[in-house]
Amino acid sequence: MERSIHICHLYPDLLNLYGDRGNVLCLRRRLEWRGIGASVTEMPVGAADRLAEADLIFIGGGQDFEQQALLEDLHRGKDASLRAAVADGVAILAICGGYQMLGQYYETHDGVRCDFVGAIDLRTVGGKERMIGNYLFRCGDESGGMEVVGFENHSGRTWLGEGVKPLGRVLSGYGNNGQDGTEGVRYHNVFGTYSHGPLLPKNPALCDEILKTALERKYGKAELAPLDDSAEQNAFREIAARLRNA
Amino acid sequence: MSLKTAAAIALCKGLHLTARLLHRGGTAMPGRWALKLDPALPGELARGLDILLITGTNGKTTTARICETACVDAGLDALANRSGANLLSGITTELAMNSTLGGRVNKKCAVIECDEAAARTAIGLLQPKVVLVTNLFRDQLDRYGEVTHTLENIREGLKKAPGAVLALNADDSLVSSLALDLPNRVVWYGMDRAAADPATPPPALSDALRCIRCKAAYEYDYLSYGHLGGFRCPNCGYRRHAADVAVAAPPLLGPDGSQIELSVRGERVEAAVNLPAVYNIYNAVGAIAAVTAFGVGLEHALTAVGSFRCGFGRMERFELGAAGARVMLVKNPAGCDQVLQFLSGLDGSFELALLLNDRTADGTDVSWIWDADFERLSALGERLTRVTVSGDRAWDLFLRLKYAGLDVSRIRVERDYAALTAQLAASEVPVFIMPTYTALLEFRPQLLKACGGEEFWEG
Repeated sequence: MERSIHICHLYPDLLNLYGDRGNVLCLRRRLEWRGIGASVTEMPVGAADRLAEADLIFIGGGQDFEQQALLEDLHRGKDASLRAAVADGVAILAICGGYQMLGQYYETHDGVRCDFVGAIDLRTVGGKERMIGNYLFRCGDESGGMEVVGFENHSGRTWLGEGVKPLGRVLSGYGNNGQDGTEGVRYHNVFGTYSHGPLLPKNPALCDEILKTALERKYGKAELAPLDDSAEQNAFREIAARLRNA
Repeated sequence: MSLKTAAAIALCKGLHLTARLLHRGGTAMPGRWALKLDPALPGELARGLDILLITGTNGKTTTARICETACVDAGLDALANRSGANLLSGITTELAMNSTLGGRVNKKCAVIECDEAAARTAIGLLQPKVVLVTNLFRDQLDRYGEVTHTLENIREGLKKAPGAVLALNADDSLVSSLALDLPNRVVWYGMDRAAADPATPPPALSDALRCIRCKAAYEYDYLSYGHLGGFRCPNCGYRRHAADVAVAAPPLLGPDGSQIELSVRGERVEAAVNLPAVYNIYNAVGAIAAVTAFGVGLEHALTAVGSFRCGFGRMERFELGAAGARVMLVKNPAGCDQVLQFLSGLDGSFELALLLNDRTADGTDVSWIWDADFERLSALGERLTRVTVSGDRAWDLFLRLKYAGLDVSRIRVERDYAALTAQLAASEVPVFIMPTYTALLEFRPQLLKACGGEEFWEG
């Protein structure tokens, strides 16, 4: 049987800060290189809600300036669709602002609260200092257990609710809040992370883990043929080594 | 003048001399120390000096060279921070080096390139006669933050210089918004609808999708590149202002320069632009708008546009290999896209080298390469004879090209700059080199050595 994965890129018009589209490209290419069909629907602000058709949803990070337009659109029904997708086990990769958005709320450091999707029990509080830089974390076993390098740039501090598992543990850098050593979230098939920009190209094992999650949900089991990842490994190793030696 | 000011000038001159003797260049460091001693020093030195200040994301250096050339052509003796040290420290060094110990600058006017974050304090201190804002694009988010923050920095700076004439890019909705709440006189420049290529697709990513005033989505009558073009807000009516200095017909784009037809305050003139690519046409019209507002005659501005030399990685030409090399500094997705667009428009084969560093001056976040349209390169096929990736983050470039669809067997990794220079020198086809800022600083001396040239601060 011909396998295929339908990717929905939510808010590519506003949540596209610094290289986010590289992740969609990476997901697509790694499916295509294995002869698995891949299609991408872009769903900008104002577009019809087609989240129910998605096997995999990608949500990137955005600028503060455009947040209001996004929230208005979100609260016209896409928030309910996202909650349904999360509960239904749809594979979701959510980064930075997109990751925060799946939580309960964002509270600015002067106390103004903004309600988000509420699909996952996590909340974000704004801080004064931004947490910026390359960082390294190790994913939990349920998410593959691999080491991941990324770049974080956020002022929000995210706190996970009781019993909610992080995506991984920080080895070098800040992660969710710079204090409890957690990074991101793994909830049902949601992979949430602060690693903005193109997270996946340098972390092909994580990319494949997400693809496998989507394929398993759709087809029951998923075998992914190995690819030549030597360039990917080189890119990973150089930054990981730099962070370990820092 | 206070004793403190005199001491700061003496310190600046002393440090600059020491740095030169040690061959360290020394364009920013002396000013940094002088500013610690006397934070008001740039203002003291700028008194009595007519200043044309240039800021914005892309095109500052090239535009400054055109403006400086026009001033010289008009017989004005202008000083300029030519080395590209464009923070307040570098500007201070340049002013102090042209001043007596008593703080009297020995020139009548200055063309100052100013970093867009530094503009917040520099504009108020320097009280320029004309301020040119080129464009605003996402750039080094780890350093500048969001593009609207950069815009606010410039706006705050301009609030302290109500007497300055502004030369604003009419096609950039972010830059144009500076005129909304400032009392300054404005000279507008840009590309008219008649000059735009109707086939220009909307950008894959726009840094100004929504109205800066009311946040409704803009509509466009035509596009130039990135978010530049004939924008209008259907909700609040904010729209592109008619340009006083405009490209009025489709430009003739060549590999070494462009021919353009301009409308300058209603007068039709033709001009040759001495560097290729659309973004240099913007630099040319911006410079014409600014220098004519500065008091330089149009004929001198046009001469400058056709004769200026820029150098230092701005389409800089080197006699390397059988067909020569050009170095094109890239710093952000918008600038990189413009260079890639230029390359895709070339006839014939060429070789390409990409150098990516992630040091402070480059921006420590290299994610931006994924926003640039490297897919254009995969469309070139055999015309792109070879691509070499280099620099601290060579493997990130390798991945970007791999995922853009390039044949990985034709991508080389070469970290050693001497070996890379030798490889490029053996090329039979034209060579194009795209480095980030610190990679340019390190690689350029190798190129100069291969061509028998000199360092920039000795020139």
